[in-house]
Parts: sequence; structure tokens; C-alpha cells
Amino acid sequence: MKIQSGRSRAYRIVSLIILIILAFLFTFPLYWIITGAFKSSAVNNSPQPTWWPTEWVTDNFKALFKQRTAPLWEIFMPFGSFTNPEKNRVVLFAGPDAPAAFRWLINAVFMAVAAMVITCVTAAMAGYALAKKRFNGRALLFSLIVCAMALPKQVILIPLLKEMSGLRLYGSLWAVIFPTVGWPFGVFLMKQFSEGIPGEILEAARIDGSSEWNTFTTVVMPMIKPGIGALAIFTFINCWNDYFMQLVMLDANNVYTISMGIATLQAETSTDIGLLMAGAAMASVPIITIFLIFQKYFTQGIAMGAVKG
Amino acid sequence: MKMKKIVAAALAAAMALSLAACGGGQKPAQSTPAASTPASSTPAASTPAPAGATEITAWIYPVGGWSNEADVKPLIDQFTADTGIKVNLEWLAYADGDDKVNTAITAKKAPDLIMEGPERLVANWGAKGYMVDLSDMIDATDKSEINAAALAACTSADGKVYQYPMFITAHCMGINLDAFKAAGADQYLNLDNHTWTTEGFIKAVEALYAKKGDTVAAIYCKGQGGDQGTRALINNMYGGTFTNAEHTAYTWDDPNNIKALEQLKNMKGIAFDASLEGGDELKLMYQEILDMAFCWNIAQQLDPASAHGDPGKTMNGQEIVCMNFPSPDGTPVLQGGIWGLGIFNNGDDAKIEAAKQFVKYFCDSEHAADAAKISNFFSARSAAEGTDLSNIFADNAIMTDYNKVILPNLGDYYQITKGWAGARTEWWNMLQKVGKGEDIAASVAEHVANANAAAAG
Amino acid sequence: MAKQSKQPMSRALQRRENIAGYLFMLPCLIFFIGFVVIPMIICILTSLTDTNMHDPGLIGGSFIGLDNFVRLWGDKDFLAALKNTFVIVIVSVPTVCAFSLWVSSAIYKMKGPVLSAFRCIFYLPVVTGSVAVTVVWAWMYNNYYGIFNYVLKGLGLIEGRINWLGDERFALGCIILILFTTSVGQPIVLYVSALGNVDTTLIEAAQVDGATEMQVFWKVKWAQMMPTTLYILVITTINSFQCFALIQLLTKGGAGTDTVMYRIYWTAFKLTEQAGHFGYANAMGVVLAIFIGLLSAVQFKLAKEK
Repeated sequence: MKIQSGRSRAYRIVSLIILIILAFLFTFPLYWIITGAFKSSAVNNSPQPTWWPTEWVTDNFKALFKQRTAPLWEIFMPFGSFTNPEKNRVVLFAGPDAPAAFRWLINAVFMAVAAMVITCVTAAMAGYALAKKRFNGRALLFSLIVCAMALPKQVILIPLLKEMSGLRLYGSLWAVIFPTVGWPFGVFLMKQFSEGIPGEILEAARIDGSSEWNTFTTVVMPMIKPGIGALAIFTFINCWNDYFMQLVMLDANNVYTISMGIATLQAETSTDIGLLMAGAAMASVPIITIFLIFQKYFTQGIAMGAVKG
Repeated sequence: MKMKKIVAAALAAAMALSLAACGGGQKPAQSTPAASTPASSTPAASTPAPAGATEITAWIYPVGGWSNEADVKPLIDQFTADTGIKVNLEWLAYADGDDKVNTAITAKKAPDLIMEGPERLVANWGAKGYMVDLSDMIDATDKSEINAAALAACTSADGKVYQYPMFITAHCMGINLDAFKAAGADQYLNLDNHTWTTEGFIKAVEALYAKKGDTVAAIYCKGQGGDQGTRALINNMYGGTFTNAEHTAYTWDDPNNIKALEQLKNMKGIAFDASLEGGDELKLMYQEILDMAFCWNIAQQLDPASAHGDPGKTMNGQEIVCMNFPSPDGTPVLQGGIWGLGIFNNGDDAKIEAAKQFVKYFCDSEHAADAAKISNFFSARSAAEGTDLSNIFADNAIMTDYNKVILPNLGDYYQITKGWAGARTEWWNMLQKVGKGEDIAASVAEHVANANAAAAG
Repeated sequence: MAKQSKQPMSRALQRRENIAGYLFMLPCLIFFIGFVVIPMIICILTSLTDTNMHDPGLIGGSFIGLDNFVRLWGDKDFLAALKNTFVIVIVSVPTVCAFSLWVSSAIYKMKGPVLSAFRCIFYLPVVTGSVAVTVVWAWMYNNYYGIFNYVLKGLGLIEGRINWLGDERFALGCIILILFTTSVGQPIVLYVSALGNVDTTLIEAAQVDGATEMQVFWKVKWAQMMPTTLYILVITTINSFQCFALIQLLTKGGAGTDTVMYRIYWTAFKLTEQAGHFGYANAMGVVLAIFIGLLSAVQFKLAKEK
């Protein structure tokens, strides 16, 4: 027993050291983004890395904000493109002109939040139905969903693009949002979750005369809430990171997301690392802050998602 | 159950946001970077816009100074004020611009106007029938004013003009003169007419490598970006050709090119680098990491690596000199760059009309001078509607010098050979293989055959 | 529910279940069918034609049977891309699982703040955003002024510079490494909570029976974490197919890093003579979809057995 514990203490110390090294490696890219954003271009351009900026400058952000301008927000008439003779959207209100980077951030948040909300609602309903309703064709639908789950969007790239063009959605954030919502991973997750709802409770609600919809909102929803939390986080991050759909569907500065914006900066000015890092910092710091504040709920939500998964 | 509150708050926030920004991400109809002048800059009453088209979209590849929004915007704002046509400007990058245009064509949302060179506008989108023929905009006077070679390059085989030429230049290479001097390699340069021989080039690379023990210059081959530089270097070294004179077939399996590739592969200071494109190479030269850049031109000389530093200087102020590509006897043949505007046919005559107004305004009016000036390239024509364009850079010593020693060596514009886009892909793939150490003659033969197959089909 | 499904339902009840079920499914089905199933069907149909960019309409072109697939079979570039896609999945999925299991088992007993600090750190690359992460890695990998070469040279581990993203020997590995750092965050969080939830009475019982720590781990904990592991396998596999941004932004498919996902985009929209061959690109998509379908089937077979 003694040898055992001695060995295991040594193991623990070694693994702690390895963990600390790994932790350092995992934080380094972020550290490098943030310090890089505040280093002068001479420092960034030098082949000798400067580990800690000797002088913090905001030039990179100034340059980033000078790059392009866009209205801070625009509100469009729903389905305006179908009535407009030029097939363009009809702007109802536009915000003041601002550096495009802010617009990109707003677009990205709007996109990810919209995808998250719609996905959570549709997936919760569908997952519940798949788990608890014995309707015909249920098994077939479920296997279809499972098959489509790992499908990368590149596979359906061309038909999707043509479809979006036909719906006059190409070039709008909805063209990114809708396929994200259609992606059936959420349904799978919510189905696994809803399996855990005891049938007796549903039966009791039915006997009490609760309508199907009422049962869903008052009985089912509270029980699968942790799962919805997990799905919300997953969808938000997934949509935010879905560079591919953004690349294909978004065609103008005004509709770019922050990821697209940085990628465009990289393509245009790969020469200016400070500028790129400033953009990367703008893209990552807001979500990281949110993540750190709600860290407990984040990890809880994700973990709860899996207990049932 | 704090989780409950959080979820509720998140949902509420999301709802509020989606209401507030209802369609916040939808397609912009009006405001664009260019339109930041208040929309109320009312169309001048004197020049009524054609009915229907008051708004066009223009996509611009980063052509010289036209990549700089601050320079371009005033010109576009002036155009809007003069004509009442609003222009939605978008900049494309060479890295993914082609894909964006192709995606937009597939989605039937191609821009109305596009600024690039004949290899895309004429040989590709023009040949495939997406572009509008502009030959009705070019009368006899225009023909006499526009550089004949440039106009020829912008004209398709069946006589349609898919690109109105605006700027021209000759691509050259840049060297870090201070590094050359430090290594004693400047003796191989003829700084009177900016030429050198292949032998001198080889010796210079040896000297530079001996001095610093690291890569002197890179044959970049990550993609097609800036490939004119690698082509020009390899073709010039022993007098090889890239296509035949009739522009019907690719001839870069010429033994002279193979000899050049073998020579370059064996030079210690030269690296075949599949992690670089032309733009990256420029930056490395600007950072003084490389001593030569093959992707150089006059716009770079005026604003090295587009970093807004001093003209003709590296990051730390070392001197950059434009050089012709090395050739056996110092008589190089340079690659041309021709840029201009093309119009996509989106089936809307009013928009095409408005786009033509734009073309006329910037290519064939007194405003052509400003358009050429901000580009940092030479105007493709001597005069436009009475404005002399041949001397717009008279006060700029660098431009004058360039005009004298580089531009006269301009060679054939072969980039309009059939199957060009495919040939470019074959070229950099071939360079990657050579860099990996595969058999040079065999790689060249394979890729030329592919390119020719595409050209024939 | 088991009771319900075993009893044959009355027709009226079945009808009610049908209506309710499909009404609940409806919002989801609109999106799923509209933006996944229909495009997939069109993709399959198009893969049997020679459609290209000029052809109007959703399908267009003329029917050429399986020609595209026959051509794919002989397309060296495609086969290389297919191989790389598999290398990425086969390398990254097990390593992510093993690594996150190890990290979790090393940290799950730590004190609260330390535990959450580690969890956060490993989750950071996920929330940093794939493009931001890629941009900074591109800089770190740079052949001439990247930090990797600087550090490794400084430590005397390498002699000359290594062209990380330009050399076939390293480029794919470099991409897998980035993918790895952005993939382990979620599995670690999941394993930590799964390990925390393991039934302690079983562990104690095993220890009383004289089981070693390793035996306890594999026989008791691992068995209980099986559902978590399967879930992690699924999300990691999905993640591995999302490496498009890395390839587009780092290598453009050069230096032996082409994948089928990138090749489809390339064939469809890059300005090459091959570009715009939508039929051909869709055929690649179909091949990829078949492989992914098989992979999912295997994973769910494993899940069922468990």
C-alpha cells in the first residue's frame, strides 16, 4: 500500500507539471492575440518575438477602425426584396456610420443568438415528440436525423447556395442561420434528454385535461431545461465558428460577421499582423468575457447535456 | 435554479435583439462604405440619372492604390454627386476574391462592376458569357489614345471588349540594395539601366547566402497569388517562354525553363516555399528577412508591402531598388499588368447603363487622371476627352525612373491564352512538386500537359 | 413509455399521436427538410449530371450516369484529399478522447477554483473563435518569423527553420494540432462531470475486493462513463469535419493538406478551368456523405451494443 501511494504521489506531481505546461500552451495563442494587438508594428514585424510588450500602443485598433465603415445597424423590411424592383432589401432604418468592425460584431452576435434561439425552440419540440410521441414514421425520421448529424455543410454547398438565391436570402445572415437551425444535432440531443421524462407525469397531465401544448410548456420544458442550456451553448459557438457558411453566403461588408471580417483582413493585408491581432482580439474578447462570467453555467450546461447523452 | 434565470434572461435578450435588429443582418440595400456621405447628397439636377438605376454595386480587387478606401472614396463620392448614382463598393482580396465572384454568379447576385485584369474579366468571365461587351464605348479617338497592346489584351478572340483598360505597368523584381552592398553583391547589378545577367544573379545569391547563411529569396508557391513573378524569373533566366506567340498553347516545358528550375533548385540561397504567396514574400522583403522580391512593381516601390512606410524603403529604412529580371545577356522580357473595369450582365439594362456611366466617368473623362493617380500605376491611355494622361506622374522621380528603365522591357501579354486559370493552378502545383524534390523534367511535363489539355478543351 | 409502446394503440389514439407528433416536429422539419434533406437530394441528383455554373435551375445539365464517380475513382487529387480527411478523423478523434480523459482524471479531484481554472483554460480555444485562433496560429507557424521556429532554434532542438505549413511532412500535423486544441475543451468538461458522478459505492466495493487503482478505473469508472464517451465520440467526429476554416486560411489545400470538404469548395468556386463543375463537386459530396454515414452507423452500433 505504501509503495502504491508513493508511486501515485509521484504520478500526481508529474501529471500536475504536465498539466501546467499544457495550460500554458493552451492560453498562449490568446495571450499572443491580445499582446499582439497592442504591440507597435515595428515590434510585431521583427523576427525576434517580444514576449511582453514594452510599450502598449493602440495604433492597431485605430488602423482597424479606419479600415472600412458601415452603418452600425440596419433594419430591413421583411420580404422587402420580393417587392423591390431591383430585388434588393429595403432598408427601413439605418444606424450611424461606424467602423465596420463594430457592425461585424453586431452581425455575428445577432446571427449566433438568432440561430441559438430558433434551434432551441424547434429542437426541444422535435426532441420531445421523437422521444414521447408514438407517431408513425418516427423511427425513420430519427435514423434520418442521426445520419445527417455528422454531415459537413460542404456536401450540400451548391444546392444550398442556389436555394438561398431563389429565396433571395443569399447575402443575408438568414442564409447562415437557417441551415444551422436545420442541422439536426440539436434534435438528437433533445431527444436523448426527453427520454428521461417519466411517462407517468405526462399521463397525469393528460388526465388533468392539460392540452398537448400546455403539457409541453409547463411539464416538459422545465424538465429538459438543462439540456436546452447545453444546446444553446453548443449552437451559439457552432454558429459563431461556422466560417464556411459565412464565407459562402455573405457577400458584403455590411453583412460580414467578425470572423469573416478578420479573414478578409487576413486575405487583404496579411502584411499587418498587428491589425489582424486587433481584429482577432475584438472577435474573441467579448465571448471570452461572457464565458468567464457565466463559466459555471457554461460548464454545468454542457455537462448536464452529456449525463443524458 | 439560477440556471433558470440565466436561460430566461438569455432568451429575453435574444428576443429583444432579434426584434431590434429584425433582419439586422439582411442584405444591405443602400448604405455601404461609399455611401457614408449622407444619402441626401441629392443627385445634381443638371445630370439626371437614367430611370431605374440609381444604385450599382462595384467589386474591386486590390489593384495598387485602389485598395485604399481613403483614396478611393472621395472619387466615388464625387461620382455620386455628379451623376446621382450611388455605388456600393466592396473590396475583394486576391486570396478568395475569385471564389466570391463565382459564388455570387451562381447565386445570381454578381456585382454590376468589377475591377481587375483581362485574365479574369476577358479570358474567364468574359469568355463564359457573363460580361457585357463594351466595344460600343470605344470609338476611333479612344482607340488612338488607348495603349494598343492593352486594348488587344482586353479584347476577346471574337472582337468583344470585356474590360475597359485603365492602368498598366510592367512587373519587375525588387532587391534590398543595402543588403547587396553589405554582401558585396552590388557589383553584379547594372544600376544605370537596372538590369543584370543570370550569371550575376547566381553569384549575387551566392554572395548574399555566404553573408547571412539563410534564405535570400523564395520561390513562393502556396497559391497563384503573385505568380507573375515566379514565371518571369524562370522564363527570363535562360530565355524560356511560357506560351507560344499565338497564345494557343503552353510551352513552359521549354528546356530553358527546366534548366532554370534546376538551377534555382540547386541554389542554396533560394527556397521553394509552399507556405508563401506573392503578398507574403513582399512583406518578408519589407521586413528585411528576404533580400529580393519577385512580386514587385511600381505600386510596391511607391508603397512597399502596402505598409504606408517610406517609398522605396524597407521597414528599417534600407533602400529597395527595382530591377529587371536577370537574363543571359541583360535583355529581359517583362510581364505586363493591365487593369480596368468590366460590367457583369445581370439582365438589368438600367444597371448596365449606370455601370457604363461609371466606366465612362473613370476611364474616359477628365476624372481618368485622378483614377490613375491613386492607383500608383500608369494610365492605359495617353489622353481622355482632351485631358493629357501621359504625364500625370511627371513630378514623381520614382515613376519617371521606372518609366525609363523598366517599362520599355514590357513583353507579350500572354495571360489571355485559353485555359489560363487552369494553367496558373498547374504552375504553382508544379513548383510545389519541384520544391519537394520530385523529378523536375517529369513534373514540368506532367503539368504542362494538363494545362494544354485544358487549353485545348 | 415501454408499456405504451408494447400495447397496440387504438386507431383514434394513434391518430392523435400522429397529429401531435407531427405538429411538434413541424417547425424543426421545415428547417431540416428545407435546408438539409432537399439540398441533399438535389446534391445526389446533380452528381449524376454534368451540370456546371452556366446551367440555370436547381439541377440543370444532362444526365451522365455514374461518370462523375468513375472519374473520381481515377482522380489522384481527390483520392489524396479523401485520404487526408480520414487521417484527420482517425488521428484526431482518438487522441482528443484519450487526452481529455487523461486531463479530466488528473483534475477532477482538485479543489473547486483550481478545477474551474483548468477547465476554463482548456475551453479557451473553443470560445476564442476558429478564425481568430487560426490567424494567430498562422503567425506562430510562420517559417520566417514564427514563434515555433524561434523557440525550437533557441532551445537547439532544430538546426534550420522548419517550414511548418509549407512542408508536406508537417503541414497536416500542424492542422490537426490546431483542431486538437479547439476540440478538447468540451470533452474535458464532460469527462470531469462524468467522473464526479461515478457511483462511489461501486468504487468502494471494488476497493474492498482488492482492486488496484487501474482496475477500479477501467472496470468501474470507464464502464459508467460509456454514454459520455459515445457522446464525445460523436461531437469530436462532427468537429473534425469542420476543419474547413483552417485549411482555407492556412494552406489552401497545398502541402498535402487538401481535404474533401475543401476540394468540393475548390471545384465549385475557385477560378480554375475545372471550376464550376457542380456535378463533379456534388459527386465528391455524395462520396463523403456515404463515408460519413458509414462512420455514424458504426458509432451508433457501438452505442447500441452498450
